[in-house]
Amino acid sequence: MNFHPEKLPQERLAALAEDAKRRLAAKRRADLPRIIIGMATCGLAAGASETRAAFEQALAEQNLEALIIPVGCLGHCYAEPLVVIENPGFPPIAYHSVTPGKAKALVKSFLAEGDPLFEYVLAALEENDLLPSIADFPRFYLEQRVVMEKCGSIDPADLKEYLSRGGYAGLVRVLGLPPGEIVGVLSESGLRGRGGAGFPTGAKWELARKVEGSKKTVICNADEGDPGAYMDRTLLESNPHQLLEGLAICAYSVGAADAVVYVRAEYPLAVKTISRAIAQAEQANLLGKGILGANFDLEVKVFQGSGAFVCGEETALIESLEGKRGMPRFRPPYPVEHGLWGRPTVINNVKTLSTVPAIIEKGAQWFRTIGTPNSPGTAIFSVVGNVTRPGLVEIPMGTTLRTLIFEICGGIPRQKQFKAVQIGGPSGGCLPESLLDTPVDFDSLTRAGAMMGSGGLVVMDEESCMVNVARYFLDFTQNESCGKCTFCRIGTRHLLNILDRITKGEGREGDLELLETLGRDIKEGALCGLGKTAPNPILTSLKYFRSEYEAHIREKRCPSMMCRALTAYYIDPDKCARGCEACVGCCPVDAIFTAKGRKKAIDQGLCVKCGECVVSCPPEYDAVKRVSPAHLAPVVERPK
Amino acid sequence: MVRLTVDEKEIEAEEGQNLLQVCLENGITVPHLCFLEGMENSPASCRLCFVEIEGMDCPVPSCQTVVHDGMVVNTQSPAVRHLQRSALQLLLSAHRVDCSDCPANKRCALQQLAKLLGIPLKVKHLESLAGEVDTRMGHPLLAYDAGRCVLCGRCLYACAKHQEHPLLTFVRRGFSTRVDFKGKTDPAELPCLACLACVEICPVSALGFAGKTLGAA
Amino acid sequence: MKMDRARSDPWQTEEEAESDAVSAVLAGREKHRKNLIPILQEIQHKLGYLSEAAMEAVAEHLSISHSEVYGVASFYNQFRFHPPGKHQIKVCLGTACHVAGGGIILENFERKLGVKAGETTADREFSVERVACVGCCALAPVAVVDEAVEAHIAPSRIEGIFLGFQRQKEQQEKEVREGELSS
Repeated sequence: MNFHPEKLPQERLAALAEDAKRRLAAKRRADLPRIIIGMATCGLAAGASETRAAFEQALAEQNLEALIIPVGCLGHCYAEPLVVIENPGFPPIAYHSVTPGKAKALVKSFLAEGDPLFEYVLAALEENDLLPSIADFPRFYLEQRVVMEKCGSIDPADLKEYLSRGGYAGLVRVLGLPPGEIVGVLSESGLRGRGGAGFPTGAKWELARKVEGSKKTVICNADEGDPGAYMDRTLLESNPHQLLEGLAICAYSVGAADAVVYVRAEYPLAVKTISRAIAQAEQANLLGKGILGANFDLEVKVFQGSGAFVCGEETALIESLEGKRGMPRFRPPYPVEHGLWGRPTVINNVKTLSTVPAIIEKGAQWFRTIGTPNSPGTAIFSVVGNVTRPGLVEIPMGTTLRTLIFEICGGIPRQKQFKAVQIGGPSGGCLPESLLDTPVDFDSLTRAGAMMGSGGLVVMDEESCMVNVARYFLDFTQNESCGKCTFCRIGTRHLLNILDRITKGEGREGDLELLETLGRDIKEGALCGLGKTAPNPILTSLKYFRSEYEAHIREKRCPSMMCRALTAYYIDPDKCARGCEACVGCCPVDAIFTAKGRKKAIDQGLCVKCGECVVSCPPEYDAVKRVSPAHLAPVVERPK
Repeated sequence: MVRLTVDEKEIEAEEGQNLLQVCLENGITVPHLCFLEGMENSPASCRLCFVEIEGMDCPVPSCQTVVHDGMVVNTQSPAVRHLQRSALQLLLSAHRVDCSDCPANKRCALQQLAKLLGIPLKVKHLESLAGEVDTRMGHPLLAYDAGRCVLCGRCLYACAKHQEHPLLTFVRRGFSTRVDFKGKTDPAELPCLACLACVEICPVSALGFAGKTLGAA
Repeated sequence: MKMDRARSDPWQTEEEAESDAVSAVLAGREKHRKNLIPILQEIQHKLGYLSEAAMEAVAEHLSISHSEVYGVASFYNQFRFHPPGKHQIKVCLGTACHVAGGGIILENFERKLGVKAGETTADREFSVERVACVGCCALAPVAVVDEAVEAHIAPSRIEGIFLGFQRQKEQQEKEVREGELSS
């Protein structure tokens, strides 16, 4: 990189961007087709590497030239491996579920012969006369991408891509401004922390800026622990430089020279991507000493979290950075005054920091035009569970849950009924059908008894048992409790044990009242946010789905037939096809045997209730049935 | 100096002091386990020292509250007592209540707290979570009864105060958290025999000498 | 196992090799408490677990007690105190995986191998773990077998996974035999 000490940061960045564009153009000939493959963790899990290899092989076989560009994640997880092909003369077209076979077919038919294979098309990315474009699908047009704008369209391993699209312009702009003014813009924008609680970001930065102390630290919290949320991982894997830009803007505004990105070690690709991005940015003088010639130094380090959900809590995170057990400290003092090594420390979530560059670039007023007055901007949700098109969705705050689940994500698959949506992970709550018109923003969700939390959203159909799901979350918090304070350590253990009994049919009268009183005490008495919110999944499901709990306790019946101790499988002899062996082969415990008349039956003593036989029984027979309570299943003796 | 009102009694305190310390110095009883007088930064983990402060919407732990002028404190409000009883019942539910076999009998912190808060030692509405007696520990000179321990952390505090490199630590986490030791097992190489501050300070006799059973004092 | 089996000295014992690996990690790290967790991570990356001897060496390097090192290490899910199996199976029990039957998948692995989550088979071939979330929620239920993510895994797929390992092992043994014959 050429060094021009006399130039202003703007000029230096312009030179960098120009250079990036030139090199990209040299690397990527404009006349060649481009095959853009989503290769973030979920793409890879769905087989993106095999797909890429198939493209390479097919190109070689057909003796064709094309550019293969690996990118991050577009958020359409249901369609992975997702491939976009830009073939000159055609609009860019997105293809879904591109298996190696489809990859070969696309090379042969589309690249060689000009037939875009309509049957594999998800949508064209631009409006055109040939085929439907993304503007025709609610999954695209109801979204509004601010933070994820470049995710899935740039190569996260290449700083040049981010630079050529105007990256780091926000940082350059702030380098010429007094820090107070930048914090003012943030406050005016109304941005609230995306980590869950929604504390105003501007106010946090203002506190940090004003606090005395020469050595301040900025931490990006990427210890995404909610077991159903993965947007932070996606942002790290798909657009790491946007985060680094936000981090640098934050550090400059509050007067910090040290920054840490705290990432879960369970996200190896994210660790690799962000580490590489830091090295690239340092090389380009976008981080490090005298950034772009300005009087601003920032050293950024990556720290890998070692697997403790509680370390998402900011004081526990600090403890672990200091090499201690990750047990939360009492607040106040808040980290802004007394944080890492006792220094003033600002901790912001990945999404918060990734939003910052856009606000700086486009202004606070622009940001306020998106979302609601109290929660401006967009929210990113990972919508998973029983939903037709799961994935990451970025929507303006204030969109209703109904729009999000039914219009954008396609509703419930397999003609099942919607039952509940769990928002906010282990700290959040389950909301019923009647609350589907709740707009998603910090305050509305809190009023409904859930919370924005990390943005994990799990949709559940009629076959999901609310007691079972509450038990699942308590099992999680119980495993992840740090054990420091009495209420969380012992209180959540009691909650879990009670739920455990209920799901096993050993519930007692009085259990529900005990869950409620104990839950309320824990909420009030626990030391940190993890403990204080741990009872939420129980308290909300008790509020909205009490009859399900009662059915478990009084009738020993699981209405959704999910609790295995209360459910049994049997084979309806009137429907079972003579001689069919489909279920026998798939049973992992050999519980299925041939009864009278060459029909099949299940040995209730051996059955582990995994449900494989239901899946394997051909739909035209549909002979495997479930019942609850379990004793209703007819008993068939196994012939000696 | 600041002036504050605790339970309708006016008291004076030094600026920057924590409320629990001030209460104790003025003879006002506030239940507590993890805090020790003179402690700089209380872990605030036992969740017993709650008090109600005028102007705040819910009870707060007094060990982490700094006194200020004009503060009005109630140490015995129904909300405070409810939380304290709830916390103590949780601790008791995870504690093996076998007082007649316990060396701490009659001087046990849990007995005193139960008496103060007016609850029985056996908690009826919660099942017992205390495990079987198992006093094995990595330390060659100490025995540790997890079924008695309330994880107040006093032993760790005492150890850190007396030894340059603390020998005791919390291990594991969550409900499995316990106090343990790792390292050299030759008693001659350990400073412990001359110290035993941890055994001394344990409020429930969960720590004692190895060799002797914990049952007999 | 990540342990480098190709030792320069063929007579070196496993303990000595481990000790050398630990020394190499420590040599590159500043003696500061903040490095405790990164050091432990690096050692586990090299040895596959944290041995008593390794933790003692770390304690000495950082001038803290062995107790403190173990207290910190035992707090975090990531650290293991026993050598793991040759193949590591991690079953995701995140929310989406739970709703999609991740628990049943875990049970099937446990039943097939005769061990519980967190344990290693007696022949040191396999270890099974439960993990909180690998972030592939849209592909639930998910298991990570060695490095590969198995998406939408069904109980019947588990048989196939082990069959694959069986084949692989047989193939390797065959190659070894053939190698011996030819030499």
